[in-house]
Amino acid sequence: MTHIIFKSIKLINPATNFNQKVNVVIQNETIISISKDLNLEKFNKDNQTIIYDCEGLTMSPGIFDMRVNIGKTENLKFTQITAAESGITSMAILPNQTPKLNNPSIIDHIKRQSEDINLPKVMVYGAATKDLKGLEISEIGLMSEMGAIGFTNGNKSIKNSLVMRRLMSYATMIHRPIIQHAEDEDLSGLNQASTTSIRGEMNEGEISTRLGLIGIPACAEVIIIERDIRLAKLTGAHYHVAHVSTRDAVNVIREAKKSGLNITCDTAPPYFSLNESKLLTYNTAFKLSPPLRSEDDRLAIIEGIQDGTIDAIASDHRARSKDTKAQPFSAASVGASGIETLFSVTLDLVHKKIIDINKAISFLTINPAKIFGIDTPSLEEEKVANFIVFDENEPHIIKKENLKTSPTPFDRKKIHSKILATFINGQAAFINQIFKNKIIK
Amino acid sequence: MNKLFKNNSEVNKFSPVKLSSHHFLAIEDMQKSEIQKLLDRADYFANLDKHADTKYLSGYVVLNVFFENSTRTRVSFELAARRLGAEVINISLINSSIKKGESLLDTASTLNAMKPDLLIVRHPHSGAPLLFAEYLSCSIINAGDGRHEHPTQALLDALTIKRRIGYLEGLKISICGDISNSRVARSNIHLLTTMGAEVRCIAPSTLMPSSLEKLGVKCFNNMKEGIKDADVVMLLRLQNERMSGTENPSEREYFNFFGLDETKLSLANPNAVIMHPGPMNRGVEIASALADDTNRSLIKTQVEMGVAVRMSIIEALNHSKNKT
Repeated sequence: MTHIIFKSIKLINPATNFNQKVNVVIQNETIISISKDLNLEKFNKDNQTIIYDCEGLTMSPGIFDMRVNIGKTENLKFTQITAAESGITSMAILPNQTPKLNNPSIIDHIKRQSEDINLPKVMVYGAATKDLKGLEISEIGLMSEMGAIGFTNGNKSIKNSLVMRRLMSYATMIHRPIIQHAEDEDLSGLNQASTTSIRGEMNEGEISTRLGLIGIPACAEVIIIERDIRLAKLTGAHYHVAHVSTRDAVNVIREAKKSGLNITCDTAPPYFSLNESKLLTYNTAFKLSPPLRSEDDRLAIIEGIQDGTIDAIASDHRARSKDTKAQPFSAASVGASGIETLFSVTLDLVHKKIIDINKAISFLTINPAKIFGIDTPSLEEEKVANFIVFDENEPHIIKKENLKTSPTPFDRKKIHSKILATFINGQAAFINQIFKNKIIK
Repeated sequence: MNKLFKNNSEVNKFSPVKLSSHHFLAIEDMQKSEIQKLLDRADYFANLDKHADTKYLSGYVVLNVFFENSTRTRVSFELAARRLGAEVINISLINSSIKKGESLLDTASTLNAMKPDLLIVRHPHSGAPLLFAEYLSCSIINAGDGRHEHPTQALLDALTIKRRIGYLEGLKISICGDISNSRVARSNIHLLTTMGAEVRCIAPSTLMPSSLEKLGVKCFNNMKEGIKDADVVMLLRLQNERMSGTENPSEREYFNFFGLDETKLSLANPNAVIMHPGPMNRGVEIASALADDTNRSLIKTQVEMGVAVRMSIIEALNHSKNKT
């Protein structure tokens, strides 16, 4: 019988509000013991037991990254492996890939294709509308039966109010959320596909004026959210706003939550760590959707994280090839990599004393799980061993040349925590050399 | 004319200018002293007979790479380079490799492999020349990038004003028209405010970019207010190719409120001069008769000064590269 023992590790388990130094023992795929005192003798006799000295290290549930784009530069397996190395034990992928995730059989196919006991679990969003065109609702009931956890048009807004109303209404029958990329695409110029020269390129303001880039006003986000909140009230649907980026959006969602509506939202690390001033050199790694906003918006996102208006933090991973980014800003592709920096940039909020570590871990683990009503990950005896081991005090610098996905908006950012190991179903999906050296038996 | 100049012009004008960069990308990056020196040197060139021997750059290879249509800027750069003795090759890439799917950087690095000394780039995308400068080893001049900057135009405008009025500091300069889509406006705003002029921008609210006042200008939607006591009225072309059709109801309505005519001009300083970077839409931005009024319109002088200004810049880039 193989036991793996994590000796003297700080265990953070938000589901039980637990934060103590303990010894954790796993056997096969299960946590068999969490205790302060550990009788090592009985394990010492067993040759197959591995003991890690985890003094100074921390264990928490693995990350559930609820927003991942699988782009053309990646395949699912590659993204799963990279995710495992980044502390992610489950992730939800968007329907806007090739082929589009818009029917039950493809949802089933993706789930089977991605099934691997030692890789992050892949969950799937179904296309909310047929062919992601925003005109007719797709087979969300059947896709739901195949395991789709929610429905969205991915990186496009569901624009038509009647379509949105029907979607929300229908989704109440299957108890699934509708996830919206909130952007009034007429206002941001993205709907006028024929004349590329007037497409919104960045946040509107002094910097867009200086750079001569076309601005997307901040209100393009809240306009859609305000409409959708009214439709959520009309239909009783669970409405989820993806990657919230503006103060107005946070304010409106806060009020809607107070009024008792079933509304949730997430944001992504760029929106609480960066602002539009990053674009001053036309660096296309910062060309994102929604665009990086003003400093005031960034501060509002932090306030939303602090007071719980924002429920979860997702990577919003959208890796792009170097070729599509080595372009003039207007011609460059939109999006940046995110899975590899999600954990450390989120924990930067702890280092900056914006939130405590328990809360930071919650944003990455149990909070997204609660949004979808799926089993909340919890590290307790008899539960499955899906967890990460990390060092909260390992200062280092993110370097784009060391990442597997590109581009990163966090190149040269100083961070303070590092993932050392990811265990999925009791097996090491990833262990780095530092952690290997912690083996004492 | 030179006696009207301030700031060591006597020293500057007889020798090439040395700049802090071997690229010329944006006025926003430039110091007042550099602008001043380039203007002094350009003034010197403007005073020379066009057959004077200024062939200081023999063997210097200039590629004029235009990704957007241009007549006056391209010819002006070519003349400037030729008057300096450089070899010039004009390349129009509007319908060429780009359409074949080659990426901009591939095109650029192919050109760079031919070892030119200078690439003069016009591109429809803001920031494109910056990308060239980042990846290529030769000097780059921005000949207009999207809505961002047209730095040589701002210098030639400044030289035109200085030669007519004598100075820039304290002048009231009204820039009127499609500010939102205009790289000329942005470069002029940066240059003129740096040199101490009072800049007012006049545009319909749909063509006034966000937070423009943070660039140090006063903004007006009413031309009659914006033009009051102006010493210089600078008009901009309506950039229909960069508009979506929702900015402006009609050219007729635009001319009524924002076109320069005798009535509106009468509110400016009685000696006010009129400028336009061209090409002009007569009867839209400016009444045709005013454009042709040689006492007030400096439009042809602007074109003339373009060559002198571009000579001073090309020479300066060569000089700045040699010395670093």
